[in-house]
Amino acid sequence: MEGPTGTPRTRDQRARSPEDGPPTWGASLPWRPLSSWLADRAVTGQGYQPWSLGQGRSKQGYDLPPVPESAWTAAPSRRRAWISRGILFGVLVLQATLSLRLRNTAFEDEALYLYAGHLELDQLLGGPAAPEQFAAYFSGAPALYPVLAAAVDSIFGLTGARLLSLAFMLAATALLCSLTRLLFNERVALCAAAAFAITQSTLFLGNFATYDAPAICLLTLASWIVVRTAHLRGWVACVAGAPVLGLAVAVKYAALMYVPTVTILAVMAALPRRGPWALTRGLALPAVTGAVIAGALRVAGGDHLLALRTTTTQRAAGTADPRELLLDCLEWGGPMFAVAVLGTVLYVRQGRMGEVPGMNDAAVPGRIWRLCLGGVLCGTALLAPAYQVYLHTGVSLHKHIGYGLLFAAPMAGIGMNRLVGAHFRNPQLGILVWVTLLVLGMTQSQALYQAWADSDRIVAALRPEVRPGGRYLVEANSVARYYLREKTRPEQWTSTYAIAYTNREGERLSGEAGFRAAIADGYFDVIVLDRTVTKALDDRLYELLRKSPKYRLRTTVPFRNSNGTGTYRIWVKGATGDRP
Amino acid sequence: MIDLNRAGRSRRRSVAPPVVVALVVALGCLTGCSNPPPQGGTPNRPQLDASSEQADVPYDVRPLLEPREKYLGVAVEGAPRSLAPVDAFAARIGKRPNLLAFYAAWGDGYDAQGVRRAWAAGLLPMISWEPFKPSLAAIADGETDDYIEKFAADVRKVNIPVAISIGHEMNGFWYPWGTKQNKPADFVRAWRHVHDVFLHAGATNAIWVWSPNVVNPLRGVPLKPYYPGASYVDWVGMVGYYTRSGAHTFKTLYGPTMRAVRRFSRKPFIITETSSQPGPRRRTDIADLFAGVAASPDVIGFVWFNFTKRADWRLETDPGSVAEFRGRAADGVFGFDVGNP
Repeated sequence: MEGPTGTPRTRDQRARSPEDGPPTWGASLPWRPLSSWLADRAVTGQGYQPWSLGQGRSKQGYDLPPVPESAWTAAPSRRRAWISRGILFGVLVLQATLSLRLRNTAFEDEALYLYAGHLELDQLLGGPAAPEQFAAYFSGAPALYPVLAAAVDSIFGLTGARLLSLAFMLAATALLCSLTRLLFNERVALCAAAAFAITQSTLFLGNFATYDAPAICLLTLASWIVVRTAHLRGWVACVAGAPVLGLAVAVKYAALMYVPTVTILAVMAALPRRGPWALTRGLALPAVTGAVIAGALRVAGGDHLLALRTTTTQRAAGTADPRELLLDCLEWGGPMFAVAVLGTVLYVRQGRMGEVPGMNDAAVPGRIWRLCLGGVLCGTALLAPAYQVYLHTGVSLHKHIGYGLLFAAPMAGIGMNRLVGAHFRNPQLGILVWVTLLVLGMTQSQALYQAWADSDRIVAALRPEVRPGGRYLVEANSVARYYLREKTRPEQWTSTYAIAYTNREGERLSGEAGFRAAIADGYFDVIVLDRTVTKALDDRLYELLRKSPKYRLRTTVPFRNSNGTGTYRIWVKGATGDRP
Repeated sequence: MIDLNRAGRSRRRSVAPPVVVALVVALGCLTGCSNPPPQGGTPNRPQLDASSEQADVPYDVRPLLEPREKYLGVAVEGAPRSLAPVDAFAARIGKRPNLLAFYAAWGDGYDAQGVRRAWAAGLLPMISWEPFKPSLAAIADGETDDYIEKFAADVRKVNIPVAISIGHEMNGFWYPWGTKQNKPADFVRAWRHVHDVFLHAGATNAIWVWSPNVVNPLRGVPLKPYYPGASYVDWVGMVGYYTRSGAHTFKTLYGPTMRAVRRFSRKPFIITETSSQPGPRRRTDIADLFAGVAASPDVIGFVWFNFTKRADWRLETDPGSVAEFRGRAADGVFGFDVGNP
């Protein structure tokens, strides 16, 4: 907090927060944060005149300067605002630096989305229709983020697309900071932003070209809007927040899981000001959001609804061990969640730290309100882990944990703030917690970013083999076809997931029989197997290729991923003779 | 959701170590310790070793397998230790050969220097790998795998195309790997085993040459049982000499073997050893050899065996033969740039 001041403040001395101090950034606006508004109502100036001493000339003939009750003031000031902005800027710089230090080639999802985006973009610009119905199985609308990212990719390459994600994540952190300040105060806000900025998911997604970064940014923006408009009528929040919330869901369907949280946040932020009328927001916001989504689905077509079901709401169960999943959750989100729970407990027990003299009597939201807010924000962090444990799937768990941590971050900010204590009594505790989170975030994001193999060498090996009109069977081909998109068309690529092959007798074959027939007929020009996603099939196809008179092993390329080492085997057509 | 199957499910790790590390670092910072925080280490990603990092894509031998022109090969004493004998041979015939055949006993290391030297001089190296010992069965059972793996790794590392013929003349009785001491199945098993070791090592710059003796003197030995299979062989070699008492025409010397092989393989032929016994027919033999190879689309070349071994097969013993060879080799169909076939 700001240090001693020589001159008593006369403006907005009563703008205090229920936590530690007053907000400053919005002080000149007619709107004020919830905390400030509550303080206004409770503290009317009576009994709170810390600078009332020392008035008048003394009998000794000299004047004593007024002696404030406190050596510092909680009142807003330009200096405080700039310090806060400076700290936030430092947090954002740190976040950007830690994200950008992550290095790897495109992950298969990044490659898939960017590739799909290029095809969709071509179609939008009058090119041929995309050969695949991406909308039928993507976990977000293919016409939104993939197109945007592909446009950036066209100009700046993969690095540009990833920088776009970084911009989204930085915006999310900044909005989170503002949102938390609206709910509490600037010190808590900065703590929340500092904690969120260094989690593994934030660092990872800040350099990862998928739906997640924009979805998180839009969710944060929607949350910020509903809190920022808490003093206005409910329809304002609906008009401003619902489209953003709907867009977040459209960008990534999994954002649907967080619509209730944003709705509750909208109600709770408005409840102290608007009383029971705030409840109308709880009905109107999801209704309008639902209408926006329904309208978008109607316009976009049934494929999107199918994909929403298969990828999100009715996702098929996996086979992952729930204990393993829980350990993953504990590792990736546990520490910050624990701090958030601590913050909730301390916040429920005591609404403010009592740092500002005379503010102890100021109104704070009720215990139930505090409990509900902390419970909702912390509980949201459990949604994605609980759903994935329920489904026995660990797919993208580390990313999805980040969505929940976004909502838990304000409570973690309170937790860190309370650990530091009033007047920075125990800064070492806050540093301990933050550095722990920092080290975990750095190491985990680094490890997760190296989970997939660097594709430089396999792409370099494939590049001379591909040509227009060639046919390529590549196990998980999204990365290869993304990097080689200038030389090939989508229909030239087949993965080992599925095939529909018509043999020379006109018989249509699928599955392993289809692959066997295609290899026997020499249908593919290049075959790449790596035993990563269809291991059993690969082994059988390997034996087939080893004895095939049509194919010749062109090269082997070693790789390393989080599961250990492996080898890409590239088979090419071109063996001598054609009779076994 | 098409998502991070692998990234999201990294190998099970203990939660404790990173937390402990984090706490230690945090406490270190608090107590004024100057330990810097970890700089984003790579806990799950050990570095690839240097050899695999520098490994590039093996030489693409496919253009060499069925070239438009013919190989003009030579096996000459002293090469590839030195290329002076090749230079002398080239000077005699007026053309530089484009294939150099030489021999390596089982247990000999891969002659990387010799291979590099030959390739740099425009010669495709062809190694006749002779398993004098151990037995073919022992090789097939993996008893010499360490040696084969090392050899294959060297082949991959040098990354120059090399033709390899294991146990040439396996259908004859005169070598330890021949019919007297081995069954055809032993030969096939050993061949496939060696081939698979090379495959595993990624040594795909090897060209596999299955090289029986011509069947004329070995009528009772069928070739097919010795054939490892189409996926294990690139070229079918033939060892057959023009001798005073044997066949004297391309058709009679190689024809029976080619017809026998064509019953089970469509691989291109290469005459991996040939020469003409000195005598009055030598010039005719040479002319016949060139004409036969040139007229056979599925014969991609021949190797002149310029040694003294049981007979003096060297070309230079007879100036007339040298002149004949020189004249025939001048045909543009023989010899091509192996670096740009």
